[in-house]
Amino acid sequence: MLDIRRISNSRWWHKKRNWILFGIFLFLVFVRISKGSIYKDFYYFISKPFWPGQFQKEVILKSIDQESLIKINLLKKDNLRLREILSLKESSDNDNISAAVISRKTGSWWRQIILNKGSKDGVEIGSIVIGPGGLLGRVDNTSLFTSSVTLLTSPESKVGVWVDRIQINGLLIGIGDDYPSLILYSKDADIKVGDFVSSSPASTLLPPNIPIGIVQSVDEPFKAKKTAKISLLAKPHVIDWVQILRVKI
Amino acid sequence: MYKFLTKKNLSIIFFIFVPIMFLWHPNWFGFLGVQPYWPLLWLLPWSMINGSISGLIFGLFLGLILDSLTLDSNFTQMPGLILCGFWFGRIKLHNDFLVGHFRYGLICSFGSFLCGTLYFLQILFENFSDSTFLLFIPSLQNILAEVFLTGFFAPLICSQLLRVFKFSRR
Repeated sequence: MLDIRRISNSRWWHKKRNWILFGIFLFLVFVRISKGSIYKDFYYFISKPFWPGQFQKEVILKSIDQESLIKINLLKKDNLRLREILSLKESSDNDNISAAVISRKTGSWWRQIILNKGSKDGVEIGSIVIGPGGLLGRVDNTSLFTSSVTLLTSPESKVGVWVDRIQINGLLIGIGDDYPSLILYSKDADIKVGDFVSSSPASTLLPPNIPIGIVQSVDEPFKAKKTAKISLLAKPHVIDWVQILRVKI
Repeated sequence: MYKFLTKKNLSIIFFIFVPIMFLWHPNWFGFLGVQPYWPLLWLLPWSMINGSISGLIFGLFLGLILDSLTLDSNFTQMPGLILCGFWFGRIKLHNDFLVGHFRYGLICSFGSFLCGTLYFLQILFENFSDSTFLLFIPSLQNILAEVFLTGFFAPLICSQLLRVFKFSRR
C-alpha cells in the first residue's frame, strides 16, 4: 500500500514545479499570440522618461529640405496629370498623427521601430509611417499604447514603387541591410544612379508620390530583371519623431 | 527586500531585462548597426547552473517572448535558443579563471552563429526565388557582426551573471 502511494506521488503531475512551468508556458503562448501587446505596453511605461527630445536638428532639417524640393516637383507634375485624368488614389493629409520612436531596431534581422501611439490614438494596422525625408514603413501591429512599424529595410517588406524619370513601376524589397533592393521587371529599363524613387501610383498599399529614396548603384541585368540599390531619404536610425498617415485607398 | 533578492528571483529579474535590452537596442553597444545577441548572454549562465532541461525550457520561453516582440511572423528564434539552452546545460564550469572567461566568449559566439544561421535559413526558404542571392552578403555581415559582438561581451556579462545566479541559488 505504502509502495503504491510512493510511486503515485512521484508522477510528474504531482510536482508543483511542473505545473508552474506549464502555467508560464501557457502565459507565454498567450503573449506570443497577442504579439507581445502586454510586454510592449509595459515597455511604453518604463521607457517613458527616456523618450527623444529636440536634437539631431541638422540631420532632420537637411532631410526636410530634400523632401520638400522633391515633393514640390512631384506635386507639380501630379497636378498637370490630374488635370488630364479625372481621379487618382488619394491620401488624407488631415489625419496625420505625430509619434515618437520609443524603440528602434535598425540593424541585424529585425528592422522595426515602435512608436508611442497605439490603437487608443486611432492608429490602424496598415497605416503609413513617414519621417523627415519620406517613407519609413507600414504599421504592422498595434497595442493599446504602441504601434510597431516594419521598416522598408526589413526582409519582410515588399512595396510597389515608381521611378519617375523613366516612368516605370518596380518592387522595393528589404534584404536586411540599410539599402533595400529595387527590382525592375524589364531588362532594358534605363535606370541610372541618382534616379529618384517614390511610392507607386499603382500601389494598393501606399498613397502615391511619397518620396522613398535615390538609386545608389545599379547591378547587372539578371534573367530579364534589373536590380538596383536604393539609398533611403528618411534615415530610420536617426529619426526620433514620425508622422502616421491613415490612408484611404 | 534582501530576502526577495537572495532567492531565485534575481535570475528572473535579469530574465525580464533580456527583452528590454532587445527592444532598447542601445546604439553604443552596436557594430555595423548590429547588437550582441542578448538572450544567449543570459541563457549560458542559467543553463550552466540549472542543467540542460531547464536550459531547454527557458530557451523556449525566451524564444516565445522575443518572437512576440518582432514583427516577422514567418520566422522564429525558438529553434536556435532551444538548441543553445540544451547545449549550454551540458557544459561544465571551469576552475581556471582566464580559461573560464574566454570559454564563455567562444561558446556564446558559436551559439550566436547557430541562432543566426538558423534564422537566416528560415528567411532563405521563405523568400526562395531568383533574387535570393541578394540576401547573402548582408546576412553574412549580420551573422558575423553578431557573432563578434556576442563573443566580445560574453566573458564580461556571463561571468558576472554566473556569480549572481550562484549567489542567489545559495
